[in-house]
Amino acid sequence: MNAPQEQAISASALVHAKGLTVRYGAKRAVDDVSFTIPKGRVVGLLGHNGAGKTTLMKALVGLANAEGELRVLGKHPKRDRVALLQSACYIPDVAILPRWARVDDLITLMSGLHPSFSAERAKGLLKRTSVGLRDRVKVLSKGMVVQAHLALVAAIDARLMILDEPTLGLDVLSRKSFYEMLIDEWCDGERSVLISTHQVEEIETLLSDVLMLNEGKLVLSISLEDMDRRFVALSHDASVADEMAAAHPLLRYRGGAGRDSRTSVFDGTPPDNVLSLGQRVRPSLVDLFVALTRKPELDRQHF
Amino acid sequence: MKTFNTLLLREWMQHRFGWAMLVLIPLTLAVLLLSVGQIQLDSQTVEEVGAFFPTMLAAISLAGTTGLLFVLGTVVSLFLISGLARRDHADRSVEFWLSLPTSHAQSLAAPLLTHLVLVPVAALALGIAGGVAVSFVVVSRLVDVGAWFTLPWGQLLGATLATFARLAVGVPLAILWLLPLILAAVLLGAWLKRWGVPVLLLGLSLGATVAQQVFGLAWPARQLAYLALQAGRSLIHTQQQGFVVENGNEMAEALPKVVSFMLGDIAPAIGLLLSPGFLAVLALSAGLFWLLIDWRRRGAGVAG
Repeated sequence: MNAPQEQAISASALVHAKGLTVRYGAKRAVDDVSFTIPKGRVVGLLGHNGAGKTTLMKALVGLANAEGELRVLGKHPKRDRVALLQSACYIPDVAILPRWARVDDLITLMSGLHPSFSAERAKGLLKRTSVGLRDRVKVLSKGMVVQAHLALVAAIDARLMILDEPTLGLDVLSRKSFYEMLIDEWCDGERSVLISTHQVEEIETLLSDVLMLNEGKLVLSISLEDMDRRFVALSHDASVADEMAAAHPLLRYRGGAGRDSRTSVFDGTPPDNVLSLGQRVRPSLVDLFVALTRKPELDRQHF
Repeated sequence: MKTFNTLLLREWMQHRFGWAMLVLIPLTLAVLLLSVGQIQLDSQTVEEVGAFFPTMLAAISLAGTTGLLFVLGTVVSLFLISGLARRDHADRSVEFWLSLPTSHAQSLAAPLLTHLVLVPVAALALGIAGGVAVSFVVVSRLVDVGAWFTLPWGQLLGATLATFARLAVGVPLAILWLLPLILAAVLLGAWLKRWGVPVLLLGLSLGATVAQQVFGLAWPARQLAYLALQAGRSLIHTQQQGFVVENGNEMAEALPKVVSFMLGDIAPAIGLLLSPGFLAVLALSAGLFWLLIDWRRRGAGVAG
């Protein structure tokens, strides 16, 4: 891609970060990260605990001091925080609604504080949950607080939704319901979502792109289409494990087509003699996540 | 304006139950205790006051109830405001509020205005209303029910409303004079959590004492006394001259004098603002408020 093409993409991107670094004292929580998020994308932000996901999200909404270039919806997150948050919605942690408030109090407050919030839509979304309008937050279960918060945020007509572990505490049915609402009703090709989660398998089918952080550094920034083209997974018999190892895969693990089978994941197409030793399968996001973010001392290749 | 009004509404939603209890409990206790308890009076004073006795009882009831609720409301408000920076941290809802498109200045100014001005003034108004009820109980018990209905309500309410007007102007003026201390308490609470106010009190008292005793510098203590004096004068009694009621015969003329005194005291109270000292107070307050905004902008103490 040439420089003018890159510039054109950056100009239309909802999020543009270049050389982004966030420090907490001497520690670099986010370390020289560069990426863009175009419109109409559902981007998964993956990383272990302490990888820098929350810090990155806070930087995007002006709640963390960041060095480097950062534009969100064309605005500087720190300087233009209020204007930015009028067009973006952010859930930092879903179990954080004020405990003294009733749900209808929160709808009233959001109506007055957020110009893009629709009280009618919020009430409609809440009808699908077990949360009542007169319920006080402090008597709701954690899952119900999550449902209430998600309903409030989904009622905001924003261009960018930034969700930090939004489904923590939700049962599987509620999670499915939230993902369906997100895809069917919120994502319209113009809006983008950045979502961090540990439930990688569950969300893989919803994502269009993925960002992987490891100890503050961006180890992968790729669309799922390109991921399928770039990474090759081969399911093979244990008897050819040594030949596979000699080709230096990213990751090897037990599991695959047969009982005694193994799977090896490669970055790029392996040599033909290696390809012929196994059957090509689609690498899962979990496989890549483990391959790219595991610590060397926890290498699972010993078998 | 809509955002700021909604932030004020938030304060009402969060604290309305507590405020209701703050008014109802003392009033209920006062009415109950005065209805059934013993009330002792100085017989000489009663004799001196003569026919003015019921009016005097009503005036004391109004003043006492209003004063009680005003003091309670102000003390509770100051206590709440001292923890302003760290409120919402216990339930982590601070992150919810930070995720909304409200400026840090508005988010800080709304609770300051509510608790430092609106609540004390509302306490005055409710105190007056409650005082009417208390006066009925007191006058009925110590004189008779009929006496309450024949009280000079025009003069009583005139004096009461004039006092309310004076205090309603005086409260925000006094708060302006004390704002550097209040904001310092809030800021230290942001940095030091529950140790903020104790550190401030200790620092001021110890600092002034050490400055005076060890270094021979009297100005720190003088400045603190100056702030307290200006705040007190702004709240009530700015003018040098007042009036004295020397005997029961003069009491009948006291109520109209209260009206003219209170209303005439408003302009001098406002005039206190026209001084270099107040400009310094404003500048210091602005600096401290900016530090609070900066603290909030850096994440309000929420771990990353």
